[in-house]
Amino acid sequence: MAFDFHIVTDYYRSFSLVQADLRAGTITCRQLVDGYLARIEENRHLNVFTEVYAEEARQRADDLDRRWAANEPVGRLAGMVIGLKDVLSHAGHGLQAGSHMLDGFVAQFTATAVQRLLDEDAIVIGRQNCDEFAMGSSNETSAFGPVRNAADPTRVPGGSSGGSAVAVQAGLCLASIGSDTGGSVRQPAAFCGVTGLKPTYGRISRWGLIAYASSFDCVGPIAHTPADCALLLEIMAGPDEFDSTVSNRPVEAYSAATQMASAPRRIAYLRDGVESPGVDASIREATQRTIDALRAAGHTVEPVSLSLLDSLLPTYYILTTAEASSNLSRFDGVRYGHRTAEATDLIELYKKSRTEGFGSEVRRRILLGTFALSASYYDAYYTKAQQVRRLIREETERLFAEYDFLLSPTTPSPAFKLGEKTGRNPDDDPLQMYLADIFTVQANVVGYPAISIPNGATPEGLPIGLQLMASPFAEASLVAIAQEITDL
Amino acid sequence: MVAAVAPGSEVSTEYEAVIGLEVHCQLLTESKIFAADANIFGSEPNTNVSVITLAHPGTLPKLNRKAVEYAIRMGLACGCDITRFNVFARKNYFYPDLPKGYQLSQDKTPICVGGRIRVKLKDENGKPTLERDVQIHHIHLEEDAGKSIHDEGTSTNLDYNRAGTPLIEMVTEPCIQSAEEAGQYLTEVRKLVRYLGICDGNMEEGSLRCDVNLSIRPKGATHLGTKVEVKNLNSIRNVQRAVEAEFKRQVETTQAGEPIRQQTRTFDANTGLTHAMREKETMNDYRYFPDPDLAPLVVSDEWLSAIESSMPALPAAVFQKLTTHYGLPEYDATQLSDARELVEYFEAVCAETPNYKAVSNWLMGPVRAQLTDRALRERQFPVSAGQLASLITLIDTGTVSQTAAQTIFGLLIENPEATPTDLAKAHGLEQNRNTDALQTLVSEVLAAWPDKVAQYQKGKKNLLGLFVGEVMKKSKGSADPKLVNQLIVNELSK
Repeated sequence: MAFDFHIVTDYYRSFSLVQADLRAGTITCRQLVDGYLARIEENRHLNVFTEVYAEEARQRADDLDRRWAANEPVGRLAGMVIGLKDVLSHAGHGLQAGSHMLDGFVAQFTATAVQRLLDEDAIVIGRQNCDEFAMGSSNETSAFGPVRNAADPTRVPGGSSGGSAVAVQAGLCLASIGSDTGGSVRQPAAFCGVTGLKPTYGRISRWGLIAYASSFDCVGPIAHTPADCALLLEIMAGPDEFDSTVSNRPVEAYSAATQMASAPRRIAYLRDGVESPGVDASIREATQRTIDALRAAGHTVEPVSLSLLDSLLPTYYILTTAEASSNLSRFDGVRYGHRTAEATDLIELYKKSRTEGFGSEVRRRILLGTFALSASYYDAYYTKAQQVRRLIREETERLFAEYDFLLSPTTPSPAFKLGEKTGRNPDDDPLQMYLADIFTVQANVVGYPAISIPNGATPEGLPIGLQLMASPFAEASLVAIAQEITDL
Repeated sequence: MVAAVAPGSEVSTEYEAVIGLEVHCQLLTESKIFAADANIFGSEPNTNVSVITLAHPGTLPKLNRKAVEYAIRMGLACGCDITRFNVFARKNYFYPDLPKGYQLSQDKTPICVGGRIRVKLKDENGKPTLERDVQIHHIHLEEDAGKSIHDEGTSTNLDYNRAGTPLIEMVTEPCIQSAEEAGQYLTEVRKLVRYLGICDGNMEEGSLRCDVNLSIRPKGATHLGTKVEVKNLNSIRNVQRAVEAEFKRQVETTQAGEPIRQQTRTFDANTGLTHAMREKETMNDYRYFPDPDLAPLVVSDEWLSAIESSMPALPAAVFQKLTTHYGLPEYDATQLSDARELVEYFEAVCAETPNYKAVSNWLMGPVRAQLTDRALRERQFPVSAGQLASLITLIDTGTVSQTAAQTIFGLLIENPEATPTDLAKAHGLEQNRNTDALQTLVSEVLAAWPDKVAQYQKGKKNLLGLFVGEVMKKSKGSADPKLVNQLIVNELSK
């Protein structure tokens, strides 16, 4: 199937351009929304949105246009049309984490991050498809079916925020809000040629984010540019009385940071990222080209190795599945969500409701996590993984004592074919899919901020992503260097 | 074969009981431990339930610091070490009354560690002279579950109002030796939580709950036997009965050559026996792990000293004050210090009359009787401290007699707005202190008993009581007996 590229050419790729046109009066919010709604309609085959709030979006746009015309104050995000990954609670709207388990569930409150965007007059155009309960790296575990990559609809968009990345890639909204537990914002951003930011753990409140693994989960924006991600971060970040794990550090002007010239930086890059045969050749070359360009721009760029690289994925999967096994216990068919019609007693109610409601990847991770926490294996798995997490954190701290950033490819390969790594065949190895997150999980294991930016394309035209990781709460310098690399 | 031991035989001479108690106290905070929902008993079902209580997707717990403060109060009262760095843990299991599929509790870092509660035990003559310290292993904070109501046909209804009620669980060392000691310990715990104002101590409503862990061993042995847990105990008396029944069962089982199985049993208050609920081996593996949704709770020096300085006086200190400052006998002090509110009432009355012993007598007697009859808490008692004090003053100044005062007390309860003086006047209960009138009565009485007067004057002085009694009769009880006494002595010595 040949992809028709002309569809994805004519749309805004920067919020500053939207604002300039709104101010100049060459476009209205209503026209913007209608444009996006038309594009969503044209791109149904990509399966990005599970629900589109057409009327609500038009009403909000009309209200903004009226306020604009009347010279009434408008929020900082007036004209920003966004989509929400189906894991963010939005009062009065459906919420089901891409799962049949929550068929028909309507959120009764709004996530803090979403509320802050609404308060600044962002327009939410719809709810975006994702891997079931954010568990997956290809958006193929969704109960709504896979999302397709707009660069090649035979390929996956990455995951778990696959719908959110394609929505930006295909111009179905200007930006998306996703969530990132092991790379779920950055990996699909890389596969789709857009920018995805995972902030420091605790920078954005998790109140209203459906939990996958609480000590890893972060809300994160996806947009075309680091500047737009910075602005969204700036508005969503900060203390929140509903999340005791959120940081009380003041929020910096991240959006302003992207406009400042950056001083020479000390940048480490993962030797494996440009030398390992496990990494696609075109990705290695693209990464090397960026390294060369950074050196030419006056930065110090040096190779490093992580001794614990091989421990990252096992540590990540033991701890995230352990937390997930407990976090997903509330989906039991008792108070809301899917309840089996077949049960005759309580145990059957649980077993059947959960077996029917959850897909296979979610069931796999619940079983893995329950096993890791069980009394006989607790010390061998959960305790050990906690210890290794601490060691990885210490090694990362030592690295960041010497360097400002750690650079690597975002993914070892470009977007793969739909069905290529799904493990639908019982003999398939789910670890092949898990390897797609090899470069992204470190930031979640240690809680550091990281960003993925577009870094060219493979000879077949598939997007390549470049990842930069920074010290905790150094998002301002992270978005600044990301913008600088984008502009190189 | 249980028949080897005849019922009622002296089973306890060979074996001793080793008992540990787990006591749950619902804390009297205004809101729940991890949500802003009201924490009240008796609301309409499912009215105090927010998205947090119902565990909607995306919700996070928000710790109520008041609950922590209450737990620390209990810890300080028991001499526990207060844990400064606390991590809450998830106890994972499935049950419909548990909305999250896990209970938030404390596992590795209970808020209070160690400590003790002193109990008084009776000696052979039944006098509470022996003192023992029940050692506390720890006190931890956790949330209560909702309620499953199974009484509607085949379906089960769920009420989540109770879900998220703050609890402390106090776990003793296995150091309790008898039903009496278990009962005394519970009595002291209930007294303490009421003194501290952290729990209403009501076992029938379930705001104070107790599970018993009991094993037996040959007397003098140091090893621990197989532990059996007994649940469903809704009064101190039933805890004691359950201890006795379970001890007897274990001894009989052992003497019959059968092993004690590690079980959870339930106590049937009707039969007075325990019954197996489930075998411990098949119980849940709770998969405890630190809750990643709650930041660690740090108890700072400042916070701890603020809690320390706001601690109310504890029963032992109150007992001391009652015996020294107020000069009450030990018996009175023991009775009064049983309940903080009774002591508060006592002190309020004593602020207005110096006759402390009279106050104590009134409280232990008529006041307590009325409280019991009317099922009232001290602070609901209609007679104010000021009213009781002025009643006592009326007696002390001879304005009313003890008998009349009892009548006035009854009237005060019905007319809480009235003053004792008004009531005495209105009901003609003031003592007659009119010397002229009484003098007439005295003359009449002495004139009516000439032979007795003669005997009196020959030295039979105990006849004075007869004359006083006759005058009192004639006055219909309104005369001041002291005054009458004086007038008769004066008359006869003329």
